[in-house]
Amino acid sequence: MKLYIVELSSQELVGAIQLWSLITPVNPASTWGPLIFIFAVSASKEAWDDYHRFLSDKIANEKQVWIVKHGIKKHIQAQEIQVGNIVWLRENDEVPCDLVLLVLLIHKVFAMLRLFKCGKKWTHTLQTAALDGETDLKTRVIPSACVGIDLELLHRMKGVLECPVPDKDIRRFDANMRLFPPFIDNDVCSLTIKNTLLQSCYLRNTEWACGASVYTGNQTKLGMSRGIAEPKLTAMDAMIDKLTGAIFVFQIVVVLVLGVAGNVWKDTEARKQWYVQYPAEAPWYELLVIPLRFELLCSIMIPISIKVSLDLVKGLYAKFIEWDVEMIDQETGTASYAANTAISEDLGQVEYILTDKTGTLTDNKMIFRRCCIGSIFYGNENGDALKDAHLLSAITSGSTDVIRFLTVMAIGNTVIPVRSKAGDIVYKAQSQDEEALVIAAAKLNMVFVGKNANLLEIRFNGLTIHCQNGKIILLSKGADESILPYACAGQQTRTITEAVEHYAQLGLRTLCLAWRELEEDEYLEWLVKFKEASSVLVDREWRIAEVCQRLEHDLYILGVTAIEDRLQDGVPETIETLRKAGINFWMLTGDKQNTAIQIALSCNFISPEPKGQLLLIDGKSEEDVSRSLERVLLTMRNTTSEPKDVAFVIDGWALEIAVKHHRKDFVELAILSRTAICCRVTPSQKAQLVEILKSCDYRTLAIGDGGNDVRMIQQADIGVGISGREGLQAARAADYSIGRFRFLKRLILVHGRYSYNRRAFLSQYSFYKSLLICFIQIFFSFISGVSGTSLFNSVSLMAYNVFYTSVPVLVSVIDKDLSETSVMQHPQILFYCQAGRLLNPSTFAGWFGRSLFHAIVVFVITIHAYANEKSEMEELGMVALSGCIWLQAFVVAQETNSFTVLQHLSIWGNLVGFYVINFLFSAIPSSGMYTIMFRLCSQPSYWITMFLIVGAGMGPIFALKYYRYTYRPSKINILQQAERTGGPIVTIGNIETQPRTMEKEVSPLSITQPKNRSPVYEPLLSESPNATRRSFGPGTPLEFFQSQSRLSSSSGYSRNCKDN
Amino acid sequence: MPSNTASSSSAAAAGSADSSSSRTKSKRPKYSKFTQQELPACKPILTPGWVILTFLVISVIFIPLGVVSLFASQDVVEIVDRYDNVCIPPPDRANKVAFIQGGADKSCTRTLVVPKRMKQPIYVYYQLENFYQNHRRYVKSRSDSQLRSVKDENQIDACKPEDDVNGRPIVPCGLIAWSLFNDTYALSKNNQTLNVNKRGIAWKSDREHKFGKNVFPKNFQTGNLTGGGRLDANKSLSEQEDLIVWMRTAALPTFRKLYGKIESDLEKGDTITVILKNNYNTYSFDGKKKLVLSTTSWLGGKNDFLGIAYLTVGGICFFLALVFTIMYLVKPRRLGDPTYLSWNRVPGGGR
Repeated sequence: MKLYIVELSSQELVGAIQLWSLITPVNPASTWGPLIFIFAVSASKEAWDDYHRFLSDKIANEKQVWIVKHGIKKHIQAQEIQVGNIVWLRENDEVPCDLVLLVLLIHKVFAMLRLFKCGKKWTHTLQTAALDGETDLKTRVIPSACVGIDLELLHRMKGVLECPVPDKDIRRFDANMRLFPPFIDNDVCSLTIKNTLLQSCYLRNTEWACGASVYTGNQTKLGMSRGIAEPKLTAMDAMIDKLTGAIFVFQIVVVLVLGVAGNVWKDTEARKQWYVQYPAEAPWYELLVIPLRFELLCSIMIPISIKVSLDLVKGLYAKFIEWDVEMIDQETGTASYAANTAISEDLGQVEYILTDKTGTLTDNKMIFRRCCIGSIFYGNENGDALKDAHLLSAITSGSTDVIRFLTVMAIGNTVIPVRSKAGDIVYKAQSQDEEALVIAAAKLNMVFVGKNANLLEIRFNGLTIHCQNGKIILLSKGADESILPYACAGQQTRTITEAVEHYAQLGLRTLCLAWRELEEDEYLEWLVKFKEASSVLVDREWRIAEVCQRLEHDLYILGVTAIEDRLQDGVPETIETLRKAGINFWMLTGDKQNTAIQIALSCNFISPEPKGQLLLIDGKSEEDVSRSLERVLLTMRNTTSEPKDVAFVIDGWALEIAVKHHRKDFVELAILSRTAICCRVTPSQKAQLVEILKSCDYRTLAIGDGGNDVRMIQQADIGVGISGREGLQAARAADYSIGRFRFLKRLILVHGRYSYNRRAFLSQYSFYKSLLICFIQIFFSFISGVSGTSLFNSVSLMAYNVFYTSVPVLVSVIDKDLSETSVMQHPQILFYCQAGRLLNPSTFAGWFGRSLFHAIVVFVITIHAYANEKSEMEELGMVALSGCIWLQAFVVAQETNSFTVLQHLSIWGNLVGFYVINFLFSAIPSSGMYTIMFRLCSQPSYWITMFLIVGAGMGPIFALKYYRYTYRPSKINILQQAERTGGPIVTIGNIETQPRTMEKEVSPLSITQPKNRSPVYEPLLSESPNATRRSFGPGTPLEFFQSQSRLSSSSGYSRNCKDN
Repeated sequence: MPSNTASSSSAAAAGSADSSSSRTKSKRPKYSKFTQQELPACKPILTPGWVILTFLVISVIFIPLGVVSLFASQDVVEIVDRYDNVCIPPPDRANKVAFIQGGADKSCTRTLVVPKRMKQPIYVYYQLENFYQNHRRYVKSRSDSQLRSVKDENQIDACKPEDDVNGRPIVPCGLIAWSLFNDTYALSKNNQTLNVNKRGIAWKSDREHKFGKNVFPKNFQTGNLTGGGRLDANKSLSEQEDLIVWMRTAALPTFRKLYGKIESDLEKGDTITVILKNNYNTYSFDGKKKLVLSTTSWLGGKNDFLGIAYLTVGGICFFLALVFTIMYLVKPRRLGDPTYLSWNRVPGGGR
């Protein structure tokens, strides 16, 4: 609220001026009081937060940690750790700063080795909950140079660590280490993120570990990534800013007019009023005195109390979201969380929802469903390959391909098997797909027991196979487009592509598995290059990826796996409801086009043929894309009038071209289409799309669950994170986090809508009451010689804004215009919020007019009823003030839609409170209003005047409201009437429950554009190496032998681009 | 309370114990009607019946109230006599200001006839018009603490320009006191002196708490400019009731201030002779001066406004009730008719 702040500082200025007693129309306390109160409230809130931060900082800083110095362990406080210290950690300790691993005791070893032959590596695991919000275990290894060092040797260790400038990238750490003699291996040894222990992680599965601290304090990866989120400005804030600006201008005009009038009156009339004793000669600045007095009088026109009220109310809205039991994920017990308390009303104004697919629409609970090995399809009949008799018999018969296939499924991954106490093996995986594969393999009797140095243990058919130093085999798995081009020359890949196609049609996620035996020489030759690449400081990941690619050729394709990712409960209904509410949906996914379209179909995202139409934008070159875009745009323009669901589908590559070269066309398309599917998009493209929509002045909501959605979530007006299975990364970056996608419906329709309605009332009402009292002051100035006398005493003025008028309106926070069920049944009603029907210049003008009318009523009645012998200043002021208080109580009552006990308490209690406060003041002999209130309340004429004010003020407004309510009803009114008279609420086209599983009802798609069913996808990502290859990094060197191909980027790359 | 409360507390406890999880996400919200925004609420709706009834009730209350107020006002007998112009001898009327500021005799005799029987107490007011006691410069020019106690007599900051004379503080200081009204009235009925009681005309609270019993006028009206009336230096401020009344500043430029009370009835046709001293200068700003004798009712003095306003509002409400009834009969509307929902008319169209 920019303008508001300007206004606030002008308030401060006003406060300063007011001390200049010449000008002051009222006691300085009346201006300073509310200001001080408001600052006291916000300051104490800040102070409270600060105090808690201080406490937690103190705890963190004074935490005892062990460091090793000269071979002796000693305890120091965490804040005393310096760069270069050697820190000793035990299992389950929190890592106090960023460390490079040096030594660790092996308790349990989880080697991450894909090859059966390799060097000796000790690893341990690390839980990184705090850092990326995930509770996954991450594997960490000691650098090669340090292998073999034990605790006794540690104090003799000398070396140099070269590390990059601190940054916040938790996936990269390109450093080098060199140990000095007597260590034999004193070559430069490259370090990666795998060799580090990052701050705030927890050490698990390792008895102890030692590390050298490299970054401390705010330079740690965690410290650097603790960015301050930019405050988001809601549409309503912007509107209120505008209105505040208008009122500000109005105030200036009033001040100028009255100032001039005052000076004219002074020169013509006041000179004759001898009792005023205006000096004949006055310095020039006397001219300014009257305008400045009016500025002070009118300074209350802009309600400063609105800040306090809004802070309180918004805090409560956020709490309501968190408290909502209907938004608790029953499965995990996760409640919703509102990280950003300031933007809940924006939820009611959402126009575009950009949603991620995996984990957001779907459960992200991968289940292995089908597979195609060689050219045989398994699981086609019953939809579950695990129960396919053919496959089971193939396994028992020991078919080579099947065994190999299962082997790749079981070991070609980064999964860590953990043996639980009961003896079962539990798998910890970073990728849901891999976990699904390993579990499926285990069910097919290929149990992955563990891997270490040069030992791989898998149990097959009850037989435990120990593989040791055997052949070097490259196991590869990945998306079809990244595997198939490298198939060995002789192999027919047609069945494979058909299988991929088939599975994609069913909305399954496919992976191709491949295999190649390596020659010893080839491996060694490659190893040299790899080592070279992995010690480069610049562009290391890119180089490594390049080296790795060299191994990927002549692959023998084993088959295709198909994994089902079930739709979340209630997704189709939620999308249907929200689309009825006029919200446009865009799906942004990294998935394949076919899968995306299938999912879109099954969750009501797009409609099947006669009703819906899909327009495809594709093309590899600029011309293709441009032509395709134009065609789609043309169709789109023509069909906008038809009641047809038209959606466009675009892939990442085309999107890149379209946005780069045809931005204008694309923006037009974006405005025209209510639905879009963008597949194969990168995180930054997701953010870019959000930005495009935002630039068209749409309110956007981005919802996602994974790290790849973080940028989109941060970019959007409202970011919603699903605190799902892919960790909390998205939920952390988001303004709101919810447990399931279907809660979005409630978040928007119930909480967003109520917040908007309530806030619209609250802010306009705040202006109303400030204007009311201000108008009375202005009117009074016309009968007080335009001299800037305040009709009200300073105590009343101060209390008016802070107490008398702010309490009743605060209770509007629990007002509900429509019941939740009505809103859910008629989501279209959200349109009133989206279009800003409840707060815009014309509604504001209504409130402005109302305050003018009420000011006239109060003023005219007061000065006539209290004329002649009763026209005592204090009494008249109190009568006018009571009139305002009575009116505002009735205004709040009239605008309240549902009266709970609290409403009655606050509205009528406030009225009683007004009298109690004033009786108290009237009992103090030294106060200006001593006995005034007692005198007034004992006069019948006072009460008669009050009734008259209420009758005359509320009668016309009530009549107008009734007229509108009955004869020009808004949709909200109609629904109110319907729900309250208990009449039947009929909606045409009720929401049907859609089948949840996607396999049912897969109707043929219509793609009007040339069908892109070409068997081999031109992979977008592999063509832009910077997008994929760079993020290939986090793997131990030998991990690449497995060459998971591009899809392994889904595990390695998962933090960045959950490629699906 | 649903049964999940127990599990929720245990979950919360587990959450806090596990400090590793950054936010205790597992904390389940407590269920209450308030937190779920499900407090039982009364949801009134504006049905024609209720609205028409409300307007009828209002008019039924307001119209009699208006009649009663009007009667109360009509019962008040009021004699108003404007004397500012008349009390200037015709030769001086060309330059009234010079006359009022000059030293000539300012006595003036007015005769009033009682139109109706007036029951005691009869209040004697003076009415000033176009006199801005509410002017910002004027209304602030006083020192309440000085008036209250002797020890604060030097608190004269607010009183400028009538704060001190040659460095000695004026008591009472300020423009209000300085411009004290000083016309006097001597009333006689049928050639018999009519006693005007000037005690008890000020508010009791003012006499007892705002104006000190031991505060005496000092240096009052001794400066270069003489404003209005003078004060008896031997009477404490709390006894100077004319001053106390005057210092209750009026909020409107037309106002009446109590001069005294006549504690005997006046009969219809009585002639009252008023010998007044026309001292106060309202001529520089064309202010009118009036002498008012008035009885009072439960609503105060003569004031038809409330009665008329009540009748008007009551009448309008009755009219509205009538209009709404006619509208209801002529063009009845079913409340909450879903066919009015546009999206029900145009299938499939949200907007």
